[in-house]
Amino acid sequence: MVKASEEKLLNEKTIEENSLSRRDYKYGFVTDIETERIPNGLNEDIIALIAEKKNEPQWMLEWRLKAYRHWTKMKEPHWPNFHYDPIDYQALSYYTSPKWKKDQQPKNLDEVDPELLKTFERLGIPLTEQKRLSGVAVDAVFDSVSVGTTHQSELEKVGVIFCSVSEAVRSHPELIKKYLGSVVPYTDNFFAALNSAVFSDGSFCYIPKGVRCPLDLSTYFRINAAETGQFERTLIIAEEGSYVSYLEGCTAPMREQNQLHAAVVELVALDNAEIKYSTVQNWYAGDKQGIGGIYNFVTKRGKCLGHHSKISWTQVEAGSAITWKYPSVILQGDDSIGKFYSVALTNNRMRADTGTKMIHIGKNTKSTIISKGISTDESNNNYRGLVKVLPSANNARNFSQCDSMLVGNKCSANTFPYIEVKNSTATLEHEASTSKINADQIFYLQSRGLDLEGAISLIINGFCKEVFKELPLEFAVEAVKLLEMKLEGSVG
Amino acid sequence: MIAPKETIHFIKDFDSTQNRLQSEDPSWIKNLRKASLNRFLECGIPTSKDEEWKYTNVSALNDLTLAIAHSGSILENNQLQKFLGPEINLVFVNGKFVKELSYAGIPAKGLTIRSWQQAIENDEKIIEQLLKKYDLQAQKPFVALNQSLAQEGIFVDVAANTAIPSLIHVVHITSSHAGALFTTPRCFIHLGKSSEASIVETHICFNKDLSYFSNPLTDVYLDENAILHYSKAQSESLKAYHIGTTRVWQERNSSYYGFSLSVGAALTRHDLDIILNGEGCHSTLNGLYAVDKAQHVDNHTSVDHRFPNCTSNQLYKGILNGDARAVFNGKIFVRPIAQLTNSYQLNKNLVLGHNCRIDTKPQLEIFADDVKCTHGATIGQLNEDELFYLQTRAIPKKRAVIMLSHGFVDDIINKVQNPAVQNIFNSLLVPVFQALE
Repeated sequence: MVKASEEKLLNEKTIEENSLSRRDYKYGFVTDIETERIPNGLNEDIIALIAEKKNEPQWMLEWRLKAYRHWTKMKEPHWPNFHYDPIDYQALSYYTSPKWKKDQQPKNLDEVDPELLKTFERLGIPLTEQKRLSGVAVDAVFDSVSVGTTHQSELEKVGVIFCSVSEAVRSHPELIKKYLGSVVPYTDNFFAALNSAVFSDGSFCYIPKGVRCPLDLSTYFRINAAETGQFERTLIIAEEGSYVSYLEGCTAPMREQNQLHAAVVELVALDNAEIKYSTVQNWYAGDKQGIGGIYNFVTKRGKCLGHHSKISWTQVEAGSAITWKYPSVILQGDDSIGKFYSVALTNNRMRADTGTKMIHIGKNTKSTIISKGISTDESNNNYRGLVKVLPSANNARNFSQCDSMLVGNKCSANTFPYIEVKNSTATLEHEASTSKINADQIFYLQSRGLDLEGAISLIINGFCKEVFKELPLEFAVEAVKLLEMKLEGSVG
Repeated sequence: MIAPKETIHFIKDFDSTQNRLQSEDPSWIKNLRKASLNRFLECGIPTSKDEEWKYTNVSALNDLTLAIAHSGSILENNQLQKFLGPEINLVFVNGKFVKELSYAGIPAKGLTIRSWQQAIENDEKIIEQLLKKYDLQAQKPFVALNQSLAQEGIFVDVAANTAIPSLIHVVHITSSHAGALFTTPRCFIHLGKSSEASIVETHICFNKDLSYFSNPLTDVYLDENAILHYSKAQSESLKAYHIGTTRVWQERNSSYYGFSLSVGAALTRHDLDIILNGEGCHSTLNGLYAVDKAQHVDNHTSVDHRFPNCTSNQLYKGILNGDARAVFNGKIFVRPIAQLTNSYQLNKNLVLGHNCRIDTKPQLEIFADDVKCTHGATIGQLNEDELFYLQTRAIPKKRAVIMLSHGFVDDIINKVQNPAVQNIFNSLLVPVFQALE
């Protein structure tokens, strides 16, 4: 339950924003819940405290400390095409969790504080038995901890492990030791090192040999507390010949301070395995003046370790004050396939610097990149991508297409594709375009009775069709709605 | 003055060269040299950490000891005579202007050709007017290096409302028995209002084993409605470094048709920076590079759309053989007011060798909404089916490869309008196709 006073505040705000002809960020509410948080700051004691809270074995703590020591030697990178105020890493709390009754994490969903469950219900993610989304198993992460995971028993029957990463550290240490950090080592970059040191919860999925996961797996991330960052860690392992489709969603309350979200996602696909990873990112993006919002600095990477393996990333980036992420695929196994489909929409003063990296190592590897950027208002939208063909990657094949659409004359759209080819048998094609919405198309639709907004919405939908069709159905519907909502009032 | 230890160490007798330059020139050019030198010393030789030099390593320059030539005598006079056509030839040997080899007749009406020294004295206004548009503090390192040392060069001025029918051919030859040379060819082209001219600048060396470093800088300044056909072709020695820059400044409704050909040099870097500073400008930037063995070629282009209604069109093609490396970096900027910009960019690479490396980076930075900008890049091999077809027609495979490569090249060479320029290009490309035999 949201307190009455807060509810009122929220309503007032919604009405006010609506009068400005823009629908509000409807996930911007705060859940009033007792929380347990560790003091602000970051040092070795804090990391030990996090490990203790999470009841982690000694080897995990050592791994965290190694990452932390490395992080202290690193400098924050500033190469992207935007600026942001310096982040004070000592002013954040690195672990916030709802206060559990009986001082221990509930064993199943029935023991979870009903208020928490209501929060997820409001977000459209019902966790309770009766209302569960059929066909989707959900792991719900609230601030630094996983609240609960649905459909676990059903998945267990086929041998699929789907739980929070903290649980996996305790129950499947051999898998964690083997794969954690194998795709994104803690030395990879500044934010990956930070995440490795302080990561809280995230999801762990393990699909055994030859299993086609019967349900879509999904994690919903929610930041609630102030002055915290969310540092989740997701690890998905698809064994030989298996298949999994994984969905990720995220929202956060409206706050005037910027909040940091520095996640790491690692995917490992073995021989003939396929992982399909879809994200609809809708963190709070700040208000019209660009105050507040989430800094979404995420490292996502998949490794096609086995031959004929396949990893595909599909992302709809519609939130965050700043998005800075490059879901990548390392195509190590022969005949492996990497795909990247992205729609990035920026409005108000949002800034996005996103794209992908495709590293071709194995023979006959193929990659496809389809990126659609839409920038409106005073936002800044960048595509930055790398296609790298190493000398061993005979007959590598890549097709990239990145299109940008500009709506309004104060926004900007940039493309920075890097193509590095070290093998002479590779074939690559890259094309990019930037243009305005075609006036003739708008006129045509208007002559058929659509209003301006409807016309633009339809055109943008068509523009993004190629990407949306890659999304699972529920997500595709949500994504379309999300874009409509975001675009409302930004044109005309 | 600069302290001795801050001199450019890869140039032999740098101080005496510096002092010689300080002698009799007007103060504005002295100041320009000094500021440029400071700028170069501040930047130093770029490293691969510099984003603009990410794929091109020029650290080998540090190990060179280069001398600035004192003599402009040519050793391969016969070959040169064959190379020169009936056009207005302006010949530089080792950076020195050679009057005897150059065109001696009366230039066309409205055409002024002067040496850089004379131009500094007589055409100060035009030169300074353009140069002050560029921020000295933001100069690229090798632009600064040229500006700090260039002593000889050519100044071409076309008066308003004149069209020059004959082709102007500026030839830079390096020819030496002695040690490695450093040359700084300087070229300044100004076209007055509503004038038209065709200029081709070639950098050649007949001795393919000569090692030297050529650091040319060409400035083009187009007044309103002017039309310039300008080509730069380079067939330097296979041990040479060629790091050159062409800067183009266009005023309203002017048109620039550029072409850049690179076949020689161990390491080539060509920066082509175009500023469209008026409405209705058009720029064509075409280029071809053909490299073999351990050659490295790097083309950097940038088109800055500062005003509305401009168009730019870019096509760069490359053939790579052996262990060659090619880099292409194209930037298109569209400023917020530059509405109705139309900009097109394409980079196509044909890979024939087994160990080639290509790094291409077409970039768009767009701040206006009513624009059409596209770019593309392709890397591929010859079509197997086409090769097979030709072989079924009793054409040997090698011949077929040459035919198809010719087709790939001719497509872009044919975009050059002047047949005389096409002939120069084709003659420079002969060794490329010979190597495929």
